[in-house]
Amino acid sequence: MHISVAAERCIGSGNCVELAPRYFDQRDLDGVVEVLVSDVDASDESAVAEAADICPVSAILLGAGGAAQ
Amino acid sequence: MTEIKTEHVWPFERTSPLDPPPVFAELRATCPVSKVSTWNGREAWLLTRYADIRAVLADPGISSDLTIEGFPEPTPTVAAARGGQKNFARMDPPKHDEHRRMLAPDFKIHHVAELRGYLNELVDGLLDRMEELGGPLDLVDMLAQPVPSSVICQILDLPTERSDFFQDRVKTWMSFDNPPTVASQANQDILDYFSEVVDERFDEPGDDLISRMITNQVKAGNLGKDELLHILQLLLVGGFDTTANMIALGTLTLLNHPDQLALLRDDPSLVNSAVEELLRYLSVAHQVAFRLATDDIDLGAQCIHAGDGVIAPIAAANRDPEVFADPDKFDITRDARRHVAFGFGLHQCLGQPLARIELQVVFSKLFVRFPHLRLAGNPDDLAFRNSIIYGVAELPVIW
Repeated sequence: MHISVAAERCIGSGNCVELAPRYFDQRDLDGVVEVLVSDVDASDESAVAEAADICPVSAILLGAGGAAQ
Repeated sequence: MTEIKTEHVWPFERTSPLDPPPVFAELRATCPVSKVSTWNGREAWLLTRYADIRAVLADPGISSDLTIEGFPEPTPTVAAARGGQKNFARMDPPKHDEHRRMLAPDFKIHHVAELRGYLNELVDGLLDRMEELGGPLDLVDMLAQPVPSSVICQILDLPTERSDFFQDRVKTWMSFDNPPTVASQANQDILDYFSEVVDERFDEPGDDLISRMITNQVKAGNLGKDELLHILQLLLVGGFDTTANMIALGTLTLLNHPDQLALLRDDPSLVNSAVEELLRYLSVAHQVAFRLATDDIDLGAQCIHAGDGVIAPIAAANRDPEVFADPDKFDITRDARRHVAFGFGLHQCLGQPLARIELQVVFSKLFVRFPHLRLAGNPDDLAFRNSIIYGVAELPVIW
C-alpha cells in the first residue's frame, strides 16, 4: 500500500494524524497534510485505509505496491 | 425520475429526547431521498442515508453561501442569526479555503494535544468546586459550560470574567425561541466586543490566537478587521454550546445506560471510544448541514438539480443501520469513528480536535470523582433546548 495526497484539497482536519500518526503530520504554516512515510507496513494498512476513508475531502489516495513487510 | 415530495415539514419532532426524529428512520427505509417543506414554504431535498449525506457534503457542486437566492434555513430566527454571519463557514472556495487555512495551525492535532495539561487542571478544579459545594447542583452551570468557555477564553486570551457575557450572547443567538431581531442583536453584541479586543491588541499584540491573526493576517493585508471579527464570532459559537451540550447530554446518556457506565469505570481506556460513540449517538448539531446545489448531483434513484436546497442531517447519517449495526443502541465498545457528528466535506468542524480532547478529559474524570453520580429530581422535568445545537437547559445531579 502506497500513500499519496491531493494536498490542495486538505482542510487540515487532522483526522489522518489521529488515526495513523506514523504516516501523517500537518504543516506548521496552514495545517495541511504531510506524508511522513509513504510505504505502509502490512500491519498498519487497516489504520491507513481508515484514515483515507475518514478524510472529509478525500485527499488521501492509496495505491498498491511499495509495502514494507 | 419521479420526484418524491412528502408532506413533511422541517423541523421534525423528536419522540424521545436522546434519539433523532423517527421520521428519519421511516424515510430512510421507504424513501431515502425525498422533498420536504421548510418554514417559508420552500422545498428542500432531505437526505437520510449516511452514504448520500457524505457524498453530498463532499460534492464540489454544493454551496454554503447563504446569500444565494433559495438557500434553505430551518427557521426565520436562524435565517436572521446566520444572515449576520459573514465567516468562512458560509463561504465557498477559494475564499473559504484561504480563511480556514489561517486558523488551521491553531487547531492542528499536535498543537491541541498540548492543552491536555491545562485541561486536566481545569476539570480537576471544577470537580473540586462541585465536591466542596455538595449536591444537588446543576452540572450544566458547574461543569458543562465552564469547560469550553474557559478553553475559549484561554485560546483567545479573554478575561474569564467575560464568560457569562459570552455564554448569554451565544445562547441568545442560538435559541429558536427568540425573534429574529433578538438573535441579530446578540450577534452584534459579540462582534462589538471583539472589535474592542482587536483594537486593544492592534498595537500591543500578545501571544494568543487573536494577536497572531492581527499580526500575520490583518497587518499583512490578507484579512480585513471586519472579516477577523466574524471569524472570532464563529470560533465562539462553534466552541461553546456544542461542547457544553455534549458534556451535559453525554453525562445524561451514561447515567441512562448504567451497563455502559460500568464498562467505562472498569476499563478507563474505553474513554476515547465512549466519546466517539457519544458524538455519534447524540449528534447535537441537529440543525446544521443546510446547503444549496450549484450543480446537478446524481444520487441514483433521484437527481438533485442546480438551485435546489438540500438538508443533510448528521443525526440521520449517524443512525444509518447500513453503517452502524443496531444504530439506536448506545454501545461504547463499537467502533463509531466513521460518524459524521462533526460534519463532512470541506466545512467539517475546525474545532474537532479540541472538542474531542475536552470530552475525553471530562469523561475520564467525572465518574471517577463521583462514582455514585445520579440525576437529582425527576428525569421527565428535564428541559431540552430548542436551539441550533441540541442540549439540556439544566442537569441537576447529586452523588
